[in-house]
Amino acid sequence: MGAEFDVHDLVRAAAAGDSHGWDGLVERFGALVWSTARAYGLSSDEGADAAQTTWLRLAEQLGRLQDGHDRIGVWLASTARQESLRLLGARVADHADPGQEAPASVAATATSPEREVMLWRVVGDLPEHCRRLLRVLSAVPPPDQDELAAALALEVAEVPAARAACLEEFRHRMANIGIKADAADS
Amino acid sequence: MTSDPSEGFDVVDPADEQLLEELRRAASQFDPPPPAVLAAARSSLTWRTIDADLATLVFDSGVDRPVTAVRGGEGPRLMTFSSPSLNIEVEVANLGSHRQLVGQLIPPQVAEIDVHHATGTTSVQADQLGRFRAEQIGSGPVRLHCRFAATPSAQPVVTEWVPL
Repeated sequence: MGAEFDVHDLVRAAAAGDSHGWDGLVERFGALVWSTARAYGLSSDEGADAAQTTWLRLAEQLGRLQDGHDRIGVWLASTARQESLRLLGARVADHADPGQEAPASVAATATSPEREVMLWRVVGDLPEHCRRLLRVLSAVPPPDQDELAAALALEVAEVPAARAACLEEFRHRMANIGIKADAADS
Repeated sequence: MTSDPSEGFDVVDPADEQLLEELRRAASQFDPPPPAVLAAARSSLTWRTIDADLATLVFDSGVDRPVTAVRGGEGPRLMTFSSPSLNIEVEVANLGSHRQLVGQLIPPQVAEIDVHHATGTTSVQADQLGRFRAEQIGSGPVRLHCRFAATPSAQPVVTEWVPL
């Protein structure tokens, strides 16, 4: 996709104050930042604060990331993770009600295809590490391996096995409730 | 499997890819980035500052204090920002939808401090002892921008953004 080259140019433009370059970065990584915040269990409001803080920090750092132009997705995923954990910590410190809004909960609508509703519900019920991994992996456009590792605080080398194990767990649970994981198969 | 391990993610099982494509559709439908979040992200570039030293957040009691620590009621959140020339200690009191900041510049000095927050900028003064106070700060990301009129040669200091 030539994505690396594009990102490099977008960062350079944004660092020079060009809003088109900046908007391009938001378009490319906005879902990654949001998905990371939601993967850590933040509510919509908390996720909005984590996302905005992440982007403000990038704006602050743009001129200082001279060597990191190609790694901006990793930087954003890592910062979104740290800010999400900070907000979770503040929530504990405030004794705030964590709320019952499950990040992966489904507000089913009449127009939702039944299968997608079920898929999303199964993701929400996965063990935490797999729910996080699949939530970040579901961002559009999808993160690359380095970005996924940064969002989850994994070593890059650990990612393929973690991904495979979580997909297997996901398929297993789908099968348990009688849904074929691979719609087009058989 | 005879795939080249160095290719990593690029070698994906078509069935995996199909499943992930379905998950992406579900994510886009059930939990996409809200338009207001993306709008706030786009407008963040206007807060870029070029001519200030960055004071990084080196301590945050909301995060750095062990969760298991015994808490004496609802004590304020304590934060310390640090730059080569200045430390800034801040106590944050949570007053519903607003925050109250009480701070201390180290070393103590007079300064003009702009508190940037979601609902605008609040300007306050640090006195000769380096003490300052800011009321009615909106919740959400906040930072402090410090200027030193008494020492014109001193570079302004701006803190990292932190959600309050």
